[in-house]
Amino acid sequence: MIIVIGLSFLTYLLMYISPGDPALKKLNAQGITVSEETLAEARHDMGLDKPFLVRYGQWLAGALHGDLGNSYKDGLPVAQKLVHALRYTLILSSASLALALIVAVPLAVLTAVRKNGVFDYIVRFLSFIGNSMPNFLISVLLMYFLCVKLKLLPVIADESVRGLILPCLALSIPICAQFIRQFRAEILEQLGREYVAGAVSRGVKPSVILFKNVLHNAAIPILTIIALSVGTLLGGSVVVETIFRWQGLGKLVMDAITARDYPVIQGFVIFTSCVYVLINLLTDLCYRRLDPRIEEV
Amino acid sequence: MKNTSPLAPRRKSRTALTVFLVLAAALVIISILAPFIAPNDPNATSAANINAAPDGDYPLGTDRYGRCVFSRVLMGAQTSIFSAVILVAATFVVGTALGMIAGWYGGRIDSIIMRLADIMLAFPQMVLAIAVAGILGGGMVNAMLSMGISGWTLYARLARAQVISLKKEAFISAARLSGCSGPKIMLKYLLPCMLGALIVNAATRLGTMMIGIAGLSFLGIGVTEPHAEWGSMINQSRAYMQLAPWATLAPAGATVLTVMIFNCLGDALRDYLDVEAVK
Amino acid sequence: MKRRIIALLLAVLMMASLCACGNDADRDDGKKILRVAESFAYPSLDAHKEYYGWYTSIYGITEALFAMGDDSSVLPCLAEKAEVGNDGLTWTVTLKDGICFSNGTAVTADMVIKNLRRAGEENIRFAQFAGYEYTAVSDTALTIKTSDVYPTLINDLASPEMAIMDLDATTDFDSAPIGTGPFVVKSFEPEGTVEVSRNDNYWGGDVKLDGAIFYYMQDDESKLMAMQNDEIDCYTSVTAAAKEIFDASPDKYTVTDIPATRLQFYMLNQNRLSDNIRKAINLTVDCGAIASYLNGTVTAAVGPFGTSTAYGKAVKPAVDTTAAKAAIEAEGYTLGSDGIYQKNGQPLKLNICYYAARSLDSLALLIQEQLKAIGIDSTLTVQEDADATYVASGDYDIALYCMIADKNGDPYYFIDTVLRPDGYWKSAGFESTDAANLIAQLETETNTAKRAELANEIIQLAIDDNAIGCVGLFNKITVAAKGVSGIYETYPFDFYRIGANTDIV
Repeated sequence: MIIVIGLSFLTYLLMYISPGDPALKKLNAQGITVSEETLAEARHDMGLDKPFLVRYGQWLAGALHGDLGNSYKDGLPVAQKLVHALRYTLILSSASLALALIVAVPLAVLTAVRKNGVFDYIVRFLSFIGNSMPNFLISVLLMYFLCVKLKLLPVIADESVRGLILPCLALSIPICAQFIRQFRAEILEQLGREYVAGAVSRGVKPSVILFKNVLHNAAIPILTIIALSVGTLLGGSVVVETIFRWQGLGKLVMDAITARDYPVIQGFVIFTSCVYVLINLLTDLCYRRLDPRIEEV
Repeated sequence: MKNTSPLAPRRKSRTALTVFLVLAAALVIISILAPFIAPNDPNATSAANINAAPDGDYPLGTDRYGRCVFSRVLMGAQTSIFSAVILVAATFVVGTALGMIAGWYGGRIDSIIMRLADIMLAFPQMVLAIAVAGILGGGMVNAMLSMGISGWTLYARLARAQVISLKKEAFISAARLSGCSGPKIMLKYLLPCMLGALIVNAATRLGTMMIGIAGLSFLGIGVTEPHAEWGSMINQSRAYMQLAPWATLAPAGATVLTVMIFNCLGDALRDYLDVEAVK
Repeated sequence: MKRRIIALLLAVLMMASLCACGNDADRDDGKKILRVAESFAYPSLDAHKEYYGWYTSIYGITEALFAMGDDSSVLPCLAEKAEVGNDGLTWTVTLKDGICFSNGTAVTADMVIKNLRRAGEENIRFAQFAGYEYTAVSDTALTIKTSDVYPTLINDLASPEMAIMDLDATTDFDSAPIGTGPFVVKSFEPEGTVEVSRNDNYWGGDVKLDGAIFYYMQDDESKLMAMQNDEIDCYTSVTAAAKEIFDASPDKYTVTDIPATRLQFYMLNQNRLSDNIRKAINLTVDCGAIASYLNGTVTAAVGPFGTSTAYGKAVKPAVDTTAAKAAIEAEGYTLGSDGIYQKNGQPLKLNICYYAARSLDSLALLIQEQLKAIGIDSTLTVQEDADATYVASGDYDIALYCMIADKNGDPYYFIDTVLRPDGYWKSAGFESTDAANLIAQLETETNTAKRAELANEIIQLAIDDNAIGCVGLFNKITVAAKGVSGIYETYPFDFYRIGANTDIV
């Protein structure tokens, strides 16, 4: 709770001291400049002429009663806008995370077990590429080859499975590349431990060691990595969402930031901080289940 | 796993480390010498050579202002490599230290550090970037600052998780019983155990950081024209993908190559440290 | 393993492509549906609010009393004419006969008055309309009594925000306003896809299309590829790169390229730069060269308005770097060994401010190069928000900016915003009593020819004083698949797209 309030105050403060005027942004939207009087009136209507602390206080009082306020840009309730965008983000991010995990876990295990084999080098090489290509480049390349050249998929993505493929690929490739490297490192770390050598010398089957001990022990750091990426994914990806016209959270908050739409930014920050708190709780719970050594976290 | 002669893996890992250290050093040297190697003025525009294909004068062609892509990639190495390395190093050191402290001492220190990490991590980075750019002005240093503010949390969380799970290991208890102080145990016993995973993470982050810095120039903060920087070069020339692919692919290739070298260096370093630790 | 994964992925891909064919059901029926990509989308269709009216106009749903022609002249639309009385304040507007809404109800003078009032109440940029006195003289005639002399009333009545809607019958302004346009809303997704279908009651005659669908696509590459993939039929604000690609297949695409109303310009800070330095800068910046780098997306500008307009007749001296150098030397500067002018050991170094939109980054870069070539050094400063930073603070030598210079076929708006000494750009320090007097005259002058003359004089003063440098007018570039016609591609304004005559064959 303190985190959430602290975060919201910090955001409000930062947006307040950074240059940019929501009233001007709104009136200027199509490149038409307005007179000073019109601007002053708009600022008054939007409550922007009140002192900073009064504005924050009013917002906080509303937020504590469950009212996140209305967007400056279109007057819609912030909660409604967030829920709408969240739906899209959930679809895209869960699909991407699932895809990334399905690909990354087996590949990481295989490359770790056959370390320095040909397959290991190929996968690592590909993961370097996936990791060092900006999202927008991956998106554009995918779009160009799969849509324009091969005519396999539509550029205009909708919510159907077919429309989901491209944005999902674009989002999961970098995550997947990162997962492979990190998971592989974790598994290798465990394989190097003494208990593995011990088990091998005792004649335990390698597959049993791998699945029963190594993966189990590597699970904690792996969970941390996944938890971290879930947070990022839920924030939405501005670039992928813009290119594939996906109305998710990333795009919502980016638009809000450029328009200095304070209530929407605030709502987003509240939302993300809650998600983080939740994810932390969940990962801690998982840690305890997986590793009895951790008693208090 | 380590069932061969104890010397063999050590020699092998040392060779690998040397190779990648040399490669990384070569990259750094190239970026320092870039002004002398570049065949053309990286910032000179030329109306006659817009989007020209690679030829003798312009080994990697020209971009939409007729600037030499090869020269710009060379000059961009300075900005891109140094900023990313500095950023990763700084966040790595700060994050690991804080994470270990949190994990080792637990209690109130732990909650303070981890809540701080939560706040920073939950903070939308674009809000931060725009606030930093708005208050301090655009530019490379400020862009790095806004990336770094949230960057350390990754290492902090990983380091903390590792410390917590290692804390109850027998060798740590032994060290504790033999009267070693907290900081000493952390530096001497805990750090080597977890360095591998952390370094691999740090190495992987290099590419992410390079791209992140470029992403900020997308917003009109970060790198300013006419300075060359790989990420922003890719960003600005992507519209010309179909017409002048070299202007996008050259900086993209350079990024992949660099990230690869640094990642391999991370791997090699981990292997080497691992062997040392076993010894 | 890897092969298996690839096989799996391919299988998923193929399955997906099989299960989702038939998006174009309407088109397969032989219906004429135009598919358009738009760079903006709003959360509401209430034409009076914000800029939503621009889009209801683009979608062909609403119309205003007057319309803008492709030469920036004002044309009759729902209204036949508007005339001002001898007092200069009372306007009589005569509606056309037989005008009706899409539900068949006739448009009356009463309803028009209600609309003008509502637009004034809902839209702060048109707040003046809330306070005027209106009288319905007959069913098809009304008078408007303005509080001040209002020479550009007709131009403002042609703004898409002054749309006429059936306020009595409309129950949902956000998603189903009833207008007079050739199309009616079929489906509306806030900030998303909008579908319209033909208005069978259209007062202006037969509508050729059966309907249209507007996709919201911000990303330039997505629009380009959607067009290449034949998923859309047309879009506007084509980038230079995309134009080059479309130009290469003239058998498939028609590209229309006309100078429009958005101006790229720079202000020279008179509080920091002397007359000679400003003169040198303006003599050096080569708008023609910049336009050629920007590859057909802008037209080199002389003044702020298109040269085909009556008020776009200002002239500026040709690029002359010798004269520019002479002007700098007259200021006491000498050329240093590094090729940069200096005085008392201080190099001549300017601060160029810009924001990264509307190709201003290219402008900044090219201007920097051109200045450097004659010996003026400069740094580039980029801001995310120009209005709240350099425009307000005056912390610049050269400030780049982009705005719509001609919003409704009249020069006053630009002059009032940019050249008024106490106006939006007061930080540039342009002060001229002559200009101030002329601006005051322009404010009340009702004769169109006289207004153009005054505007030309004022702008000439600003150019002669080297207060401003107009670099380029953005072209409106529209691409359409072969067979698409009548998409207002020759209109410089951004708020028209489809009409009764839009067609595909």
